[in-house]
Amino acid sequence: MNTRKVLLGNEAIARGLIESGCDVITAYPGTPSSEILPAAAAFADELGTKTVVEWGANEKVALEVALGATFAGKRACAVMKQVGLNVAMDPFMSAAHFQLEGGMIVIVSDDPGCHASQDDQDSRGLALFAKIPCFDPSSAEEARAMVFSAFELSEKHKVMAMLRPAVRIDHCRQDIEPGEVSHASAPANFKTRPAGHKVVMPARILPFLEAHNARFEAIRQEFETEFGQYNFEIPSKKPASLGVIAGGVSFAIVKDLVEALGRDDVAILKIGTPVPLPTKRVEDFLARHERTLVLEETFPVIENQVVDRTKIMGRWNGWVPKEGELVPEVIESVLLRALGVEPEADPALESLAAAREKLKLAVKKPVLCAGCGHRPSYFAIRKAFPDAVIASDIGCYSLSIQQQAVDTIVCMGASITVASGLCCAWRSEGAEPQRPVFATLGDSTFFHNGMTGLATAVYNRHPFVLAIMDNRITAMTGGQDHPGTGDKPRRNETGTSVDLEGAVRGCGVKYVKVLEAYDVEGNLETIREAWAYAKEQGEPAVLVFRHPCVTMLKARPEKRPVTVDTQKCVGCRICQDRFGCPGLAWDGENRKAFIDGRFCVDCGVCVSACPHGAIVRIGEVR
Amino acid sequence: MQFIIAGVGGQGILFASRVLGHVALSRGLHVNGSEVHGMSQRGGSVISHFKMGSYASPLVRAGEADILLAFEQGEGLRNFHFLKKRGAAVVNADRPEAFSDPDLSAFLEAREIRLFRVKGYDLLREKMGGRFLFLNALVLGALAASGAGDFRPGELRDAVAELAPARFREDNLRAFDLGFEALSRGE
Repeated sequence: MNTRKVLLGNEAIARGLIESGCDVITAYPGTPSSEILPAAAAFADELGTKTVVEWGANEKVALEVALGATFAGKRACAVMKQVGLNVAMDPFMSAAHFQLEGGMIVIVSDDPGCHASQDDQDSRGLALFAKIPCFDPSSAEEARAMVFSAFELSEKHKVMAMLRPAVRIDHCRQDIEPGEVSHASAPANFKTRPAGHKVVMPARILPFLEAHNARFEAIRQEFETEFGQYNFEIPSKKPASLGVIAGGVSFAIVKDLVEALGRDDVAILKIGTPVPLPTKRVEDFLARHERTLVLEETFPVIENQVVDRTKIMGRWNGWVPKEGELVPEVIESVLLRALGVEPEADPALESLAAAREKLKLAVKKPVLCAGCGHRPSYFAIRKAFPDAVIASDIGCYSLSIQQQAVDTIVCMGASITVASGLCCAWRSEGAEPQRPVFATLGDSTFFHNGMTGLATAVYNRHPFVLAIMDNRITAMTGGQDHPGTGDKPRRNETGTSVDLEGAVRGCGVKYVKVLEAYDVEGNLETIREAWAYAKEQGEPAVLVFRHPCVTMLKARPEKRPVTVDTQKCVGCRICQDRFGCPGLAWDGENRKAFIDGRFCVDCGVCVSACPHGAIVRIGEVR
Repeated sequence: MQFIIAGVGGQGILFASRVLGHVALSRGLHVNGSEVHGMSQRGGSVISHFKMGSYASPLVRAGEADILLAFEQGEGLRNFHFLKKRGAAVVNADRPEAFSDPDLSAFLEAREIRLFRVKGYDLLREKMGGRFLFLNALVLGALAASGAGDFRPGELRDAVAELAPARFREDNLRAFDLGFEALSRGE
């Protein structure tokens, strides 16, 4: 019987975590890393382990919890996306400078091509910065195996290790052979002696730096001579006219490409441990080839660790593009150019391009789901205050940019602090805000990094309205729990739901009101009242727009079907440009809105989006 | 064999690639593919890459796909460049006039693309009360009827039956059969 299972890359990593006996796994969700923790919980349930699997309120929290577990000798892992590591940078750097008692891995998922991120930073570079080893998988199977290796290396050298999958490995789907749990940690034991061992203080760190550098070099030596399963050469059948050094998914792509093109004169060196780079392996390969292409995502981490780059065709000399994802088409064009092959013009593709142009086939941008509570919340704020500055945040609601209701997005929690900054800008002229100032963020983002900003705003008396878009879940990343929901990833485990309004009041806010997000008309008055309060009292007011995420509903919602009265529709497009629901489409020929039954969920909220009363209910609520 | 599955987020593209994965594994073949999760799932353009056989890369290179499954006509047309010569496209078509475009025809002829169109939205509206949730099964049914990919009779249908959640199994199979029959009749 075939025992292989088709798993998502993230599930393969999760499988590796459970099989390698990781005792504590923590994370904050972020694409492309989000599926690792729930999958780890599912495998832990399936295999009956006692693994602790927990969401942290943010990545800093997650990493610190994992580190604390290693202080008692346990294997621990913190999972996050690349920009999550920025949030966790403080404990990350501290953790790098310990001699750990339990194995520790930080799994950081990168997003070349910015599919779901604000930048394309390369976490391997941060491993180099912290002087910790980094594994860069080229397949799901390898990612799973690397979890074992990373723990063993971490324990051998008492150093935190990084596993850096990029999006195409996180979200690949491949068949792998699952195994069983093959490691057990010693019982939890916090050793108080030697004193100061687990303290970052100048007096301990400064003398430790030499040992930290020495272990980094010792690991480099190991990567030179061992770990041949991750660092290996695919020699060319004929004398090579080109060498290629590649890591991550770029290796997989170029390997298939060289085979598909039938090029028997291209040799490949795969690098699965880019930090610290096994420099001798690389230099030896470079010495044997006249010219060598280096393919890696996204930053030239391998390339920059080579001292003599004269033979390297990479980013430093423009052979490899500095931005954008290295998709197969890009790698093909770079490889062919390096081989001196002229690309053939394909008239068929020109015809296709011409047809696409005529048929106006634009890429569809993501939109808020039909029935989403964020849409009417933003619509109501904009309707109440057309001239408000609306500082938004990271989450589904950032999609409200197409409702022209989002003016700024920076990073997790920065809606609140940017609103504070705007208040300070006017205050620096001795004035009150000259426009209504709103900050908007979700419940998960509020617990992630909103509370410190809010306490600061209360403390400094910044007059703005904070609207918390509370849909009771971390929605954009696929529906993960957070302190506000109280639910936990492992079966039969429940947590405590942290009261959102209580947290807001705890930050010192006196004006807190909870609204039903769907009730646009009813909420207008309260929105105006909240801004008046903030302005008059000179302090933040908080509105909680509550409606559960429509993708997570457990019970069927009431059906309130609607239709567009074409006699009343004047074609003003307000419902399109300011409300913008997939269920409310536009008939360009007749210049009227219409209900698109493919997407409409009968929530009935759009009735209040039409200033002309053209969207009307059909029959009774069901 | 390499597939591109194109559509918009929420159309059940991931289910289709799971069905193909199930078939591959039962044939004893390796599976490799790439999916879209996260932001792009919210109604935006989504493409899934899927391969059966021995491949290192999860991504299909332009001009290499044997089969394109388009859950949305526009998304399909945008991704026709992935098809290789004599590749097959199974498209949920709702705007037939697009296919009379001379430039599009020129591309299809030059690449010798085998085009299979099924009016998925109409069928679901007429036969299943507009439950568009089952479009993915319908397109898989059309794929089975197209003969593209040399699937054994019942192979795809059995995989749909096995992978569909129990409470939606009958509906999925009904949609699958609608797609299969429509294409078999040449509608």
